[in-house]
Amino acid sequence: MRQAHFKFISTLPAATFLLTSCSGGEVSGLGFEEGVSSVNDQALSLWQGAWIAAAVVGVFTLILILWPVFFHRKKDENFPKQTQYNIPVEIAYTVIPFIIVAVLFYFTAQRESRILKISPDNQVSHFIDVVGFQWSWQFKYKDAGDYKSATVTGTPAQPPTLYLPLGENVRFTLTANDVVHGFWIPAFMIQMQNLPGVTNQLEFSATKLGTFPGRCNILCGRNHSQMLFNVKVVTPAEYESYIQSLVAEEKAVIS
Amino acid sequence: MKTGWMLFVGLAIFYAILAVIYWQVGGEAVGITAISLSAGLSIIVGFYLWFTNRRLGNLLPEDNVQGEIADSAGELGFFSPHSWWPLPLAFCMILAGLGLLIGWWLTLIAVGGLLISVLGFVLEYEKPSASTH
Amino acid sequence: MTTYAQRPVISSSASAPAPTSKGRLLVKWLTSTDHKTIGYLYLITSFAWFLIAGLLALLLRGELARPGMQFLSNEQYNQIFTMHGTIMLLMFATPLFVGFANVIMPLQIGAADVAFPRLNMLSYWLYLFGGTMAFIGFITPGGAASFGWTAYAPLSRVEYSPGIGADLWLVGLAIGGLGTILGGVNFVTTILTMRAPGMTMFRMSIFSWNVLLTSILVLIAFPPLAAAFLALESDRLFGSHIFDPANGGAMLWQHLFWFFGHPEVYILALPFFGIATEILPVFSRKPIFGYKGLIAATIAIAALSVAVWAHHMYASGQVLLPFFSFMTFLIGVPTGVKFFNWIGTMWRGSVTFETPMLFVLGFLVTFLFGGITGIILASPPLDFAVSASYFVVAHFHYVLFGTVVFAMFAGFYFWWPKMTGKMLNETLGKIHFWTLFFGFHITFLIQHWLGIKGFPRRYADYLASDGFTFMNMVSTVGSGLLALSMIPFAINIWITRSTPSVTTDDPWGYGSSLEWATSCPPPRHNFKSMPRIRSERPAFDLHYPHMAAKADH
Repeated sequence: MRQAHFKFISTLPAATFLLTSCSGGEVSGLGFEEGVSSVNDQALSLWQGAWIAAAVVGVFTLILILWPVFFHRKKDENFPKQTQYNIPVEIAYTVIPFIIVAVLFYFTAQRESRILKISPDNQVSHFIDVVGFQWSWQFKYKDAGDYKSATVTGTPAQPPTLYLPLGENVRFTLTANDVVHGFWIPAFMIQMQNLPGVTNQLEFSATKLGTFPGRCNILCGRNHSQMLFNVKVVTPAEYESYIQSLVAEEKAVIS
Repeated sequence: MKTGWMLFVGLAIFYAILAVIYWQVGGEAVGITAISLSAGLSIIVGFYLWFTNRRLGNLLPEDNVQGEIADSAGELGFFSPHSWWPLPLAFCMILAGLGLLIGWWLTLIAVGGLLISVLGFVLEYEKPSASTH
Repeated sequence: MTTYAQRPVISSSASAPAPTSKGRLLVKWLTSTDHKTIGYLYLITSFAWFLIAGLLALLLRGELARPGMQFLSNEQYNQIFTMHGTIMLLMFATPLFVGFANVIMPLQIGAADVAFPRLNMLSYWLYLFGGTMAFIGFITPGGAASFGWTAYAPLSRVEYSPGIGADLWLVGLAIGGLGTILGGVNFVTTILTMRAPGMTMFRMSIFSWNVLLTSILVLIAFPPLAAAFLALESDRLFGSHIFDPANGGAMLWQHLFWFFGHPEVYILALPFFGIATEILPVFSRKPIFGYKGLIAATIAIAALSVAVWAHHMYASGQVLLPFFSFMTFLIGVPTGVKFFNWIGTMWRGSVTFETPMLFVLGFLVTFLFGGITGIILASPPLDFAVSASYFVVAHFHYVLFGTVVFAMFAGFYFWWPKMTGKMLNETLGKIHFWTLFFGFHITFLIQHWLGIKGFPRRYADYLASDGFTFMNMVSTVGSGLLALSMIPFAINIWITRSTPSVTTDDPWGYGSSLEWATSCPPPRHNFKSMPRIRSERPAFDLHYPHMAAKADH
């Protein structure tokens, strides 16, 4: 029976993991927050739903695994019934998982098409080019006009800050100068690779003021761990004044 | 035998259909090629097993649900009792690879060694043709 | 009516005297063509690589325990995780499959050896030399390969990774990969042509079925890998432009690599699923539940595994998300079905928990969690949130370690008497299991949360302000316990050298498959006599004739 006792304890890590995320009355974001970006609006409920389904299936299966451990132990020298198959049960445990994944797939397909939608250019208010290079980032604010100073370049020692206007759709064009990098903003539940020789497009809006960490997510060489950036979500007015401040000097010189 | 060819032919058909589906939904060249080649691999093996099965006709002992161990009594085949040749053969292959990195002289030596090793390995149990035993 | 017939002794080596001196023993092993000896070589070598890669992991965890670089440079860190992954996947887990398949499969199908015994040994040497060649990079001036075991181009091209360590890695692994391909050829041929009379395909043990399907995947997956490696090497040595980013090289590499990379994880999983499937019936005293369904599920996995590779590339923005996520969800179904086969085997059985069974339980619990996080990752919107973070690191350690390592130890404890004639000590085995179980979960469970909180994988360092310190510290402590768990196993192997030998064919008592109908260890060509085969449990039928099922399959 000591074995059985220990086996029970081993389920506690899984339970604790699930319980630690239950804070507050509603279903916790399980690590992510609501209302941070348009991506979260689509992905968060799927994340929560998927984990609930996973927990149900997981706990159910775990109980089934542990049931024989506790209740079907060897009692005597008799052989148990030598069941080799049970067609109805086998059909059930094939069909039910299929239904579960079909439902997951439906919502997956729906959400991913919304997250990755690229609107027609005239419906997008802001365009930012994101270039990854060894080992920092370059953000080019196309809204500021065709000025060299509209590009902000970071270094590993001084990670750059990406300014985003609150609530407004931004089109990002991602590429890289050298090797593959990954543009990842964890709090926004979104990432996409910066591929040399390829332009990727991504569109989302930030919906909460604040500063959020950004990281390079694809191994890109020695200083991969230092290829950080910050995302600063400001009001549209502040965003406008920021990008104007970037190009003010250059504008003055030209005019 | 039947299960054997059916497995490979079945996989080949599945991969072929998959390749077409992937191509039609807008897949890319690498995937279409790789899945098609997988179908090709499976059909090679599957076809060989199928026509061997047809040629053999009778039921092999291992496919006979009533097969008796005595059915395969007698010599099962020749099993090499021990051999030195795999070691130099592998060694020369590695040398050839290293030669790519270190210099052509090493590759040349390795190719020489490979010739000897391959011949040694392949001909290890061959008997001279005109001999009697 | 006899239940078995005499099989004539084929060679006289059964009466050859055992080698006396160490020199002769060395020669016997160097020139062996015996699948069992070659299998032991594979098992020993891959376990040694496991320990080496484990040490590398301890270095990584030691470095990550606190913010700031403690004792490694960025470049060294990159080399270490590259080689940790490379060794674990290609020099430990894949050859471990070849090792178990070599030792066990011919016995289970009633064959005297594999189809090509010398080719078998050639494969082993190619593995040993190729792997060593890749590892030697550490002692070159530029160090070992440092671009991750995934070697994405253009990082792996010569302008961004100039050291010769990268070339040694590519060539060494290509040659080792050839060895694996030849092994696949050998196993497929053996299973298709060398089964004993009455051993129809649908009476073959699940482990042997899984060896067959794994070998097919090897034949499909390793050639693209070797091609990609050699093409990259051509770029590096001869200045070709195959993976030049201007020619779409970045995506070309990812597609080629992952077309191999996904079947590879099934190559790693299926044989060890097979080991678990062999052990469960023995310690439940019931047949495997749903034998045919299990084979169907495994065939489905083998078929679908070439359709899902780009789920490793969702974040690239360049792949067909609906196709790959659909296929990935689909392949989760047969994998889940297997769980119910395993549960069904234990269900209403007469279950005991000797060490092999404990390790199988550890596998079931761990792989369950890993499989579930896999379903989460199968969904692109969810993958975008956590791809390439520690969530993925946690996921793949759960599925790989949970399957390969737990089932490996289960297989060791289970087949130790068959291989060596000795039983491993039960008490030490239980200590080994529990320390490994807790060590593993303390190390990796918290990494899910680390990834969700935004810690990328392959990062050598993090800031104190990131809030990752505590979680990393916990993980590092766990890794220490995990490492220590190897000690009871080492002691166990050492002390059982001098314990009494096993005298029966089947010391566990309820073995089903044919290896339990021959001595411990078996003679040179495996069987001096063989029982009649009328079901998928020939040894069980032999030892318990009153229980033998009516032969209807």
